[in-house]
Amino acid sequence: MKLAAIDARVKLLLLALLSTLALTMKQPAALAALLVLTMVALLFGGVAPVKIWRQTRMILSLIGLLFLLQCLFDRGGEPLLIIGGLTIVTGGGLQAGLVVGLRLLIVVASALLALTGETRDYLLALRWLHLPWEVCYMVQAALRFIPLLRQEAQDTAAAQQMRGCDLKNASWRQRARLYITMLVPITVGALQRAEAMSISMEARAFRSRPGRTSWRRLQMKRDDWLYGLGFVFVLVIIFFVFK
Amino acid sequence: MIEVDKLNFTYPGVPRPVLAGISVCFQAGGITALIGPNGCGKTTLSKLLVGLLRPDSGTIRIDGEDIAGLSLFQIGSRIGYLWQNPNRQLFAPTVEQEIGFGLANRGVTAEEIAADTEYWLDFFHLSHKKGALPLRLSLGEKQRLALGAVLALRPPYLVLDEPTGGLDRRCRRELGQLLRRLAEEQGCGILVVSHEKEFIRQYADREVELL
Repeated sequence: MKLAAIDARVKLLLLALLSTLALTMKQPAALAALLVLTMVALLFGGVAPVKIWRQTRMILSLIGLLFLLQCLFDRGGEPLLIIGGLTIVTGGGLQAGLVVGLRLLIVVASALLALTGETRDYLLALRWLHLPWEVCYMVQAALRFIPLLRQEAQDTAAAQQMRGCDLKNASWRQRARLYITMLVPITVGALQRAEAMSISMEARAFRSRPGRTSWRRLQMKRDDWLYGLGFVFVLVIIFFVFK
Repeated sequence: MIEVDKLNFTYPGVPRPVLAGISVCFQAGGITALIGPNGCGKTTLSKLLVGLLRPDSGTIRIDGEDIAGLSLFQIGSRIGYLWQNPNRQLFAPTVEQEIGFGLANRGVTAEEIAADTEYWLDFFHLSHKKGALPLRLSLGEKQRLALGAVLALRPPYLVLDEPTGGLDRRCRRELGQLLRRLAEEQGCGILVVSHEKEFIRQYADREVELL
């Protein structure tokens, strides 16, 4: 069943459940089961493996770093790796590293699951939850800005390289400094754009009337119910098996 | 010389190619203007020339070397590139550091960086703004700063996408005269993407039109 065709409310519910379970469950096996379930849903739901890999690849280095830090600094459990009488990795550290890595992967995978379909459907789903129209619109606008922010970050990195930064051969410290430098233009640019956009919207009568109607309506179909209930059923099984 | 041979490029998800079978040479020691209507692929071609985009097929050579095997860092040491939107290339916390960024990366001494920065700030009338955040400048000031940051590195080739955007008449004249000096005295090869006929007529040696 194509994920893009599933009702946005179902996907928002699944996102909330997956994120909550990922943050509350502590066993690596339980988190691995959640990840496998989400990946199966993505792959059978029409999300291209290349897209999954591209999105995941971006945070692999962060996952690796967090895994390493947890392994090195969490001292619980039995020693697993001892060098020269010094305990480097313990069982607790390894488990903590796996938990952090798996949690991040679940967050990315569940975000990919939720981002299938049209953004205007999420706007309607948030309205269905009785959130104010302005808040819903802001969420939608923020989602639209993500690709733009990514393009800006890529351009800034390219501009730095063209002005003498050899990113490929830079040390971790140099890279970290450059990435921090990039935060300034991206943050300022985002704030300036938000300000310009709000002025432009106000100038075109945004908020001139309370509320807003929509021709498009969300309708739960039989497939939506089946998909949602089936997914929740599997989540409940995982919860009780690993409780 | 920058040689472009049978270049083809299509943006992902767009059915028609933006550039199809483009072959052209840009000589060192002269100013070439790249002209054409909106959406004809001028900016795309300029981005391909500096490796910001990769062609579907065809080759681009700088002084005989194919840029397909070069990193942005390596291309940047030969070509200075001015983005169409100056916001995309300003990232330093101050105007002064923006000009000095590339020089510091090239290992230039602090004294030389200070002298060069002062020269370019003065040239582009930005001395009074040297401590300001670049992204808080006006459009014209940003454009001048972006130009200063590129020109300070004195690359053998320059690709400038709409360099006169946001500049007043005096700044346009000074920029045109500077580009002519760079081309004639230092043998710099300059490609200017522009719609401004007056500027092109006055300073360009050659026009290449994309249709």
